[in-house]
Amino acid sequence: MITLPILPLWLAKIGGSLLVVWFAWHSFRLCLRLTRRDPENALWLFFTWLSGAFVLFSLSHIISHTLQDTITILGFEYLQPLRRIAGGFDSILYVVIATITLFFYNIQRLYRRMQADHHQLEETSREILALNREMEALVMERTMSEMALGMAHGLRNPLHVIGGFSHRLLRKTDPGDPSRAWVAAIADEARRIEHMVERFENLAQRKTSFFGQEDMNVIVQDTLELLGPELRSKDIVLHTEIHPQPLVGRYNSHLLKVALAHLVRNSIEATPPHGEIMVRTAMETNFVVLVIRDSGRGMPPEVVDKVFVPFYTTKIGGTGLGMVFVRQIVDEHRGVIALESKVGRGTTVTIRLPHRFGESPGVSEDLPQPEGPGAAPH
Amino acid sequence: MSLKFAFRLVQVLSGMTAGLLLFPGPALAFGPLWVTQGSYVHQIAHLLFATAMFFFIYQIHREELRKFRGFRYLAAAGLFFAIWNLDAMVGHFSEWTLTNPVFLGEGMSTRLLMYDANTWLFYITQIDHYALLAPAFYLFYRGLKAFAQEPESRPQ
Repeated sequence: MITLPILPLWLAKIGGSLLVVWFAWHSFRLCLRLTRRDPENALWLFFTWLSGAFVLFSLSHIISHTLQDTITILGFEYLQPLRRIAGGFDSILYVVIATITLFFYNIQRLYRRMQADHHQLEETSREILALNREMEALVMERTMSEMALGMAHGLRNPLHVIGGFSHRLLRKTDPGDPSRAWVAAIADEARRIEHMVERFENLAQRKTSFFGQEDMNVIVQDTLELLGPELRSKDIVLHTEIHPQPLVGRYNSHLLKVALAHLVRNSIEATPPHGEIMVRTAMETNFVVLVIRDSGRGMPPEVVDKVFVPFYTTKIGGTGLGMVFVRQIVDEHRGVIALESKVGRGTTVTIRLPHRFGESPGVSEDLPQPEGPGAAPH
Repeated sequence: MSLKFAFRLVQVLSGMTAGLLLFPGPALAFGPLWVTQGSYVHQIAHLLFATAMFFFIYQIHREELRKFRGFRYLAAAGLFFAIWNLDAMVGHFSEWTLTNPVFLGEGMSTRLLMYDANTWLFYITQIDHYALLAPAFYLFYRGLKAFAQEPESRPQ
């Protein structure tokens, strides 16, 4: 009959147990390091819990097997209850490990969601940054244009007076008069300033990179075409009333498209499937009018009051900056935006933009009165 | 080792385990430990552990995480843990059904008389108990080490 030595079993148990404890402990330390590096990472928290359970398991396992061998080889039967306790503890740890592992599915889902949100946030930040830069450039250009036009307007008349009178004085002064040289100097300098103002004005007028002659109807149609799939996916009926004449003005078409897209997207989100959205363009004496009306859930007055407040949002994951940018874009066009909303009835956004800066409400005439409590004059 | 093969292995081992649990041999009634409720609980805990590990491997496969080195190690660790659990169940069964093990000699020179198949099963499962568990922990450690060392080995 064959007999086999028990020694290899003991050696395997001792060596294996020590290795298991070593790896379990170092795995746990690695997890702690990962968690310290990124404390909000759900995946590292999961592995920390799992490796922690593995450390307990490795210790419990080495104890229960040592007890078992002590009882078998040395015959210490009185240790039997202790061994059973250790065995029971092993059973509990197996269940704990299994439970933690089964959470991997949820952790993974959570992790994916966090990553997606993180990427979305990064994307939104990039978009906001780009939009901000564009807005800054636009504001600078508009300010420069307005300053140049204002300076030219303010300086030209006095310069004409100075230049005209200095020339007349020059003609009436005798060639031998010592003050003739002074009058000549005044006339020359006045002419120089006049040329400088002309060049400044020409330069300002040539800077049309951000504002160009654009047709509001085209801007609206392009934007609605872009949003077609989103409207169709919710079976929303879109009514458009485009003014028959081109509504040309000095606009930044890109920014206006961004603003319009945001407003229509808001309407799509607020409108239930098979609802209706109406987009209308119209002409008033000095303004182009753009109206977006939806049959959505509407907003209570307290929300309407805060619509243009930065970082105020009612959406989960929203930045609360969309409507702020919309208002800023309208402001930079020297326009006004008004918002009316009733709960259960829908929301109407009305934007009025002047045809030209020269005809902007702040320069040549009074602003049209904003409508509704959510009106945001610049 | 492909996932399909791993699942086939689980099916076979689970079937064997279920057979051992549900249809014990005549010697079972004489075993000193097998009759206790705790032994069943322990075996079921092993089964749950193994199931969780196979679920872990399945999730890694399903979420396409195998492209990350760290998760490849963890999937391998999961497989070793699962097989270890099934091996441990067989080992416990053989141990608890040994009716009359014959130990010859004393101390370090103690030898086991291999008088039937169950004794052989007991001896083999005692050896491969740590032959499976130590690599499982090693692979688990390597997986985490890959996460800690190389940014590209973990999902960003």
